[in-house]
Order: sequence, then structure tokens, then C-alpha cells
Amino acid sequence: MSVLAVTRLELRRLFVRPLAWVLAALTLAQLAWRFVLLLGGFLAGQIKLAALPGGPGYTDLVGVPMLSSILTGGILPFGVAELALVIVPLLTMSTLAGERSNGTLPLWFAAGLPASRIVLGKYLALMLWLVLWLALALAMPLSLAHGVTLDWGKLAAAALGLLLTLAALAAIGVASSAYASHASIAATVALTLGLVLAGVNIAAQKAGATSDAFNWLSLSGHLETLLRGLVSTADIAWFLLVIVVALALATQRLAAERERG
Amino acid sequence: MSAPTVVLQLDNLTRHRAGRPAVADLSLRLDAGQVLGLLGVNGAGKSTTLAMIAGALIPDSGRIQLNGQDFIEHPELARRGIGWLPERAPLWPELTVSEHLDAHGRLRGLAGKALTQARQNIVERLELGALARRLAGVLSQGQRQRLGLACALLHQPALLVLDEPANALDPVQVSALRSVIREQAAQGTAIILSTHLLAEVTAACDRVAILHEGRLRYDAPIGDGGHKALEQTFFDIAMRGDGSNDRMQAA
Repeated sequence: MSVLAVTRLELRRLFVRPLAWVLAALTLAQLAWRFVLLLGGFLAGQIKLAALPGGPGYTDLVGVPMLSSILTGGILPFGVAELALVIVPLLTMSTLAGERSNGTLPLWFAAGLPASRIVLGKYLALMLWLVLWLALALAMPLSLAHGVTLDWGKLAAAALGLLLTLAALAAIGVASSAYASHASIAATVALTLGLVLAGVNIAAQKAGATSDAFNWLSLSGHLETLLRGLVSTADIAWFLLVIVVALALATQRLAAERERG
Repeated sequence: MSAPTVVLQLDNLTRHRAGRPAVADLSLRLDAGQVLGLLGVNGAGKSTTLAMIAGALIPDSGRIQLNGQDFIEHPELARRGIGWLPERAPLWPELTVSEHLDAHGRLRGLAGKALTQARQNIVERLELGALARRLAGVLSQGQRQRLGLACALLHQPALLVLDEPANALDPVQVSALRSVIREQAAQGTAIILSTHLLAEVTAACDRVAILHEGRLRYDAPIGDGGHKALEQTFFDIAMRGDGSNDRMQAA
């Protein structure tokens, strides 16, 4: 019950702050632009594509690329995954650092809530917002589902990949917010960690390092497999590991703060 | 006559800050319906003591019992049993007064009709009706304090912890606050109230405790000597650290 009370309060605070609405409006407008461009490309090449046996269809050329530009190359306009690297740190920065600078953190402690429930409640609220955002982004390619042939399995795997990416980035954001004294520092740390995780394999390749460890560490490597429609336990486990470690660190930091005062 | 119910019992409470004891070996007992004034100069350890009692800070050693149960081991007891108004009422600026009351109620375990009823009662009692839809971020200092008090009282706690509640209140608001404290005590709530104002203690409290350098130097009922005697004891302790219960009782 107390986790739900925290989630409810956090969700309310998220929805009454202009930042969440501005981010939602800007990113969805940008995604709509991407959708129109992808759809235009798909329609323009439709005759050629029809001649190719087993050629890419609507899911490969519009549905999945809406979620990320990892497979299609060319970054602008961003897909959901690329936008998430920026907006998740902005959404999560105030989660705990904002409470700290606002002086409201002791209220949570005084309510007799263990640190784990505070962290979990706040994390769930962020996830609800992000799931709604992802659903609105997915609604664009799905709006044409009745007129095209969709590869539902591939799209579901890609959506799962995005959901896990959002969950991992949100957990990293909450952990950054737990350690940072100010929201802006939390956002910077979360953004940096997100970019490092996303690009560590590419950076290592460019530096001439070919170790599998960099590929394993990289978020984009695990996301790419799911975007290709392959759901592997190893990739899901990687995302879950990041989420659990980040939330455990946030909980540990908050509990220590209550003891330290 | 039955013995008074002990609501709060502190045993050898100690808490260090920056390597020195902010509160040392503090033992206190507070009965139902009693109002204890906690006095002390800045840095005497009042806010640290109250934060520990409210459950916001964990003591280094010692025991805090609420209605006979150790709430360091069972922090969930604080949830329903304690109401806390910290020195500067901490509020979420983006939420309205009404949303604050709902949020505090839910965090303290109220829900449904009980929450609605509790909110209506406290809004009426502290005259917050006209402010209900106003954002906390635009409230005046006095209004913020009133909302903080409403949040602390909403769930009808057995123990009310007030840290400098009269800060930034005008004389009319201070008088209203005293009335609320008296009413609450009459209903059986134990109240611990920290303040710099001696007049506040003599007007609102049954008992006074004086902290100096983290230690309890004085603990007695407000006697016939009233304000003058209390002032003398307070200054003796604050200036020379030599006040004693004997001196006050003699006065």
C-alpha cells in the first residue's frame, strides 16, 4: 500500500509539472516528423520493394525504425531510444535530488517508509509516464495497422527492447538522483552514464579494442538484438541486472542518508 | 486514579553530528495529553532530538518507544502514531493545499472515506477552506506553517512533534496555534514543542525541558514561578550551563 501511495504522489507531481508535458509535446512532435519521413520513404519505394521476394516491409521500414535508428543508420530525426537518452535524465533528475534540495526528503522518512519502498514507488511512477509515452509513440505506426501487413512478433520484440531500455535508463536516473545534491547534477550524471552505456562498443571499436566485454556492456548491442526481433534471455537479463543494481544503489544511498542525517 | 498513559519514552538517546554529540544520553517521558516545551539555544540539539522522535533521523544509540513499542526497530509505528511539523514546513510547491493533505493522509495510511473525512475536519478546524485549491508554492509563510500543521494533525496522531511552530506567525496566528495545541492536548495527544520563545512555553506547555550542548539540563512542570523563574533558569543554563531543577523549584 505504501509503495502505491508513493507512486500516486510522484505521478501527480510529475503530471502537474510543466517539464513533463513540454518534454512529451516536443518529443512526440519530433517522432511524428520521423514517422512522416519514414512513411514517405516506404511509400516511395513500395513498387521496388514489392518486386523483392522476402524484402523489408512496413514493420522493418516504419514500425521498428520509429523506435530506434540503430538499425537504419542516420540519426536525425531521433527515434524513441535516442530521445530517451535525453528525456529520461530530465524526468528523473528531481526524483530524489529535488526532494533533497526542497527539504521534503525527511517527510518520507518520517512516514515510516523504508528506503526501498520510497525508491520503488518513485520508480514505478516514472515508468508509468514512460510507458504512456512509448504507447503514444507506438500508436503512430500502429494507426496504419489495418492497411498494411504488420510483423506483430518483430514489433512486439522491438517494443519490449524499448521498454527495457526505458526501464534501465530510468533506474540509472533514479540512482543518479539519489547520489546527487542537485537535480542538474543528477541529470548530467544520468545523461553521461546513458551515453557511455549506449556507445561504449562503438567507442571501443574506434579505439581498436575488440573485446567482447565492450559489446556485453553496451546497451545498444542488447537493444539491437531485440529490434531485430530476437528475444534472448541473455539480453533481458542484462537489462534486468542494470535495473536491479541501479535501484539497489539508490536504496542503499537513501537508507544511508536517513542514518547519517 | 489510574496512572497516566506513557506515549513517548526516550532512553539514553545519543546522536553525533560532525564528530561531536548533537544529543547525548537523553532520557525523557511524555504522557498522553501532556504538552512538553523543549527549550535551548541554537545548536542545543532540539531539532535533532525532534527529528529522531519523528522518525526522520536514526539515533546512534538509545531507544525510542511510542506507546510502549520500540519504533527504531518498527519504523512503521511512526506512520500512524506521530505527526511532525519540522522547523520550515517542507512542502511540494507544485501541489495544492488539498493535494498535500491527500498525499500526507495516504502516506500515513488513511484511504477512502476516512481520508475524506479527516481532510474535511482538518480543513475546517484550521480554516484552510479558502486555500484548498492554492498551490503550496505561492502560500505565505504563515499559511505554509498552517498547512504543515494540518498535515501533521490530519491522521490524529498519538504524538505531535512541533519544531518552532510559531516561526513567522503573526500574534493572531500564534494565539490560534496555542488554541489548537490546547485542544489537541485535551483530546489526549501528547505534544512536544520546541521553541526559542519562553512566553510560548509558559502559555502553551505543562512541562519544560531545557537542552544545552545536547544534554538535558532541566526537566520539570511549569511551576508557580512561571515566566520569570523559567527565564532565570534558562539564562543560567544558556550562559553558564549551571541551571538546575533545584534553582527553579526554589524560585
